[in-house]
Amino acid sequence: MMRAVGSTLSRVDVVDKVAGVAQYPGDIDLPGQLWMKVVFAGIPHAQINALNVDRARAAPGVVAVLTAADVPVNEYGLIIPDQPVLCGPGSTPTAAHVRWEADQIALVVAATKAQAEAAAQLIEVDYTPLPVITDPLAALAPDAPRIHANLPDNVLYSYRIRRGHMESAFAQADVIVESEYRTHAQEHAYLQPEAGLAFVRDDGRIEVIIAGQWMHEDRQQIAHALGLPEEQIVVRYPAIGGAFGGREDMSLQIVLALAAWKTGRPIKTIWSREESIVGHHKRHPFIFKAKWGATKAGKVVAAQMDVISDAGGYMYTSNKVLGNALVACLGPYDIPNVHVDARTVLTNNCPGGAFRGFGGPQGHFAAEMQMTKLAAALGMDPVELRLQNVLRDGALLPTQSVVPPGCTAAETLEEAARRGGWMQSADGRWQRAAHAPSIQSAAGPQASARQTSLDASRRRIATGVGIAVCYKNVGFSLGFPEHCYAKVELYGEAEIEKAVVSCLGADVGQGAHTAFLQIAADALNLPPERIELQVEHTDITGSSGSASASRLTFMAGHAIQGAAAGALQEWQHEERPARCEFVFHPRPTTMYDPETGVADPSVTYGYCAQYAEVAVDLDTGHVEVTRLVSVNDVGKAINPQLVEGQIEGAAAQAIGWTLLENFIQKDGRTLTPHLSNYLIPGVLDIADVIEPVILEIPDPQGPLGLRGMAEMPMIPTAPAIAAAIHNATGIWIDQLPIVPERMWTALQAQNGA
Amino acid sequence: MQSITLTVNGKSYTRDVEPRMLLVDFIRNALGLTGTNIACDTSQCGACTIHMDGMAVKSCTVLAVQADGADITTIEGLATNGHLHPMQQAFWDQHGLQCGYCTPGMIMAAAKLVENNPGITEAEIRHGLEGNLCRCTGYQNIVKAVAQAAAAGS
Repeated sequence: MMRAVGSTLSRVDVVDKVAGVAQYPGDIDLPGQLWMKVVFAGIPHAQINALNVDRARAAPGVVAVLTAADVPVNEYGLIIPDQPVLCGPGSTPTAAHVRWEADQIALVVAATKAQAEAAAQLIEVDYTPLPVITDPLAALAPDAPRIHANLPDNVLYSYRIRRGHMESAFAQADVIVESEYRTHAQEHAYLQPEAGLAFVRDDGRIEVIIAGQWMHEDRQQIAHALGLPEEQIVVRYPAIGGAFGGREDMSLQIVLALAAWKTGRPIKTIWSREESIVGHHKRHPFIFKAKWGATKAGKVVAAQMDVISDAGGYMYTSNKVLGNALVACLGPYDIPNVHVDARTVLTNNCPGGAFRGFGGPQGHFAAEMQMTKLAAALGMDPVELRLQNVLRDGALLPTQSVVPPGCTAAETLEEAARRGGWMQSADGRWQRAAHAPSIQSAAGPQASARQTSLDASRRRIATGVGIAVCYKNVGFSLGFPEHCYAKVELYGEAEIEKAVVSCLGADVGQGAHTAFLQIAADALNLPPERIELQVEHTDITGSSGSASASRLTFMAGHAIQGAAAGALQEWQHEERPARCEFVFHPRPTTMYDPETGVADPSVTYGYCAQYAEVAVDLDTGHVEVTRLVSVNDVGKAINPQLVEGQIEGAAAQAIGWTLLENFIQKDGRTLTPHLSNYLIPGVLDIADVIEPVILEIPDPQGPLGLRGMAEMPMIPTAPAIAAAIHNATGIWIDQLPIVPERMWTALQAQNGA
Repeated sequence: MQSITLTVNGKSYTRDVEPRMLLVDFIRNALGLTGTNIACDTSQCGACTIHMDGMAVKSCTVLAVQADGADITTIEGLATNGHLHPMQQAFWDQHGLQCGYCTPGMIMAAAKLVENNPGITEAEIRHGLEGNLCRCTGYQNIVKAVAQAAAAGS
């Protein structure tokens, strides 16, 4: 029998998906269902004095209009319950305060969608507008208006690291690089907009059918807001049309359940693309002020960072993202003297929250730009400088704990460097024949930099190369009680005829369920076709945790292996069926010390390095990635085809974030609420030369040696591209996105305009 | 309301529709064929691509009344006699999907692309799929899948 692990077993959902019969939440109908329209505040900062829904309630087809007064416990939040389910009067003292344009203020439930939408127009809101804060630096001003009354400085959360002695370290440094970096918001743009249903079951419990990332957490938050025990709620995930972190926080879960509970009728809704983009969180924008010093010999001796992220109006996962960025902004390096102050700040922008990489892409943009600049300042090869400072087994993290064993930042970087044309010389040093920043000009040297014609024969293209490396935590960090349930049942008499494997990790498209099947087949030594997966709803087993933090295959792999071993033992004891439910706990982690940042922050890490080649059009500022090598140490590829898919998809999202995607807000309002003005990469925007490279150096803590891997290939892309742009043009672009306008403006400035 | 008669996946339907109803809403809501997806509302994404009278069209850009008399194939009608269309098989073989939400539209667009250009090159595949967005795969395996189906058909 071929081993299931390591094979490119077909996805368990592939036939349904190519045949068009996979059911996403919006594809499901229930008899007697009503349609729910969620009404947004439409104003980014205001006090609601009164909300008159009488006319809406009297409108044709309307069954109910629900407001803040109808929510039993009018608060929610993944980390802290700081957001009203519905903003408005008649509920908690803080619920009448709108802090975001997409704060939900009412639910209109009617027989049809058209009736619900028409009635929503009849709601009358008496607002007192409040000053709108959109700049996190302005939000820190002493006289800035407060977003939350209990946070007088608008600082939602802060962390710091203090290690070593900065003054003497900078005195030691031969070169010091200081820069400010800014990264921007990113929209998840999963193709399936939010949709769902809820109904009261025959057993009196409320069932919510929705696309999420963590069904037990959804259940908990729904139960909290409805003031019901968790057992009264069932959450079911059908096919999920992408997530990328964007479904980790609530969107429709609570309000669907509330409407079903209040009306006793099945409730359905589907958000438009506009409602989706306006109505859910984004990748946090960050500002980094960096000052790093290194010696001539190539030792980075000091790194000082001031970090600010824009949380928007509510917590979402801002403190966790900040916690990741706190170490990500120092890169995977062993730096003896470190001083970081990091704050996440309230504004009236769209809330920041989880998005693939979770602070890693932002932090590493700053860190890796600093390394590239230090190498340039020292006249050193950027790979050699990195390898002289990179974390290796036994080294201390900035938090002064030893990096978990199996640190392979160096191995991924070396592989990316080799593929990018670097060589290791006899003395062990890495170098690459300097890339002559070639300017190809069909029209000859007299071509004018101010030429505006797009005549292809006159294009002047500068090419360059760049490299970057990253690390990213696997699993929830900082003392979170990480765990994952799985259950295995074995049926048969003399031999195992069927195994039922339950693990409730969400398959958001990444192929988690297929990986579960492969790990189970391996652990039970059964062919995959004899295994049935039960993965659909919260009644099946305990929490398997979130499809996030690159944790699911790692945690579920352990849990499934544990349950399989236990069930096999029962089988040996002649139990029929043989059953085992197993809960896996990884090694514990600890929170940052508030003064020094000392901690053992994360279970383990994954590593990725990337090499980028770019072509910069000197007349239009258009940057094209012409080759992207993404080297990922995944420990063990359970399914190489799925792993490559993650690497390639991340590359596209990362190229999009770096060069194309430009989420624009003005005065707290979203100006890019459609895919016509928030551009995500199409097939022509993505290099046809993405090279996914899989390394398999086992993680000693990983089941079968595997490492989490889905976020890491999102992280080094932006700094690798920015390094290549510098190589091509001599220009440092310290702010994302590098849209043509930004690049063109920088080229103009360079030309001494 | 206006009465229309059209053929969808080989079966004839006559229905009364609002003149403003989009064809995609007709397919999903009136006929219950939910394989055709809606993802953008602004005709960028191509998730709703179907075949109408031999052409691949975004069904959100067509009114149901415009489809009166038309012969339409949706993703559900692409397989014949229980056998997947070569393009469906190729998306399977090449792992040309992840979440699968763009997949029906992508397959419908690609099938027509290859049918109209049997010797299609990779550059032509990329150009031809410019109107279909995918957020998961980075497109590499989608392009490979279309190339496989093209090779299988030639």
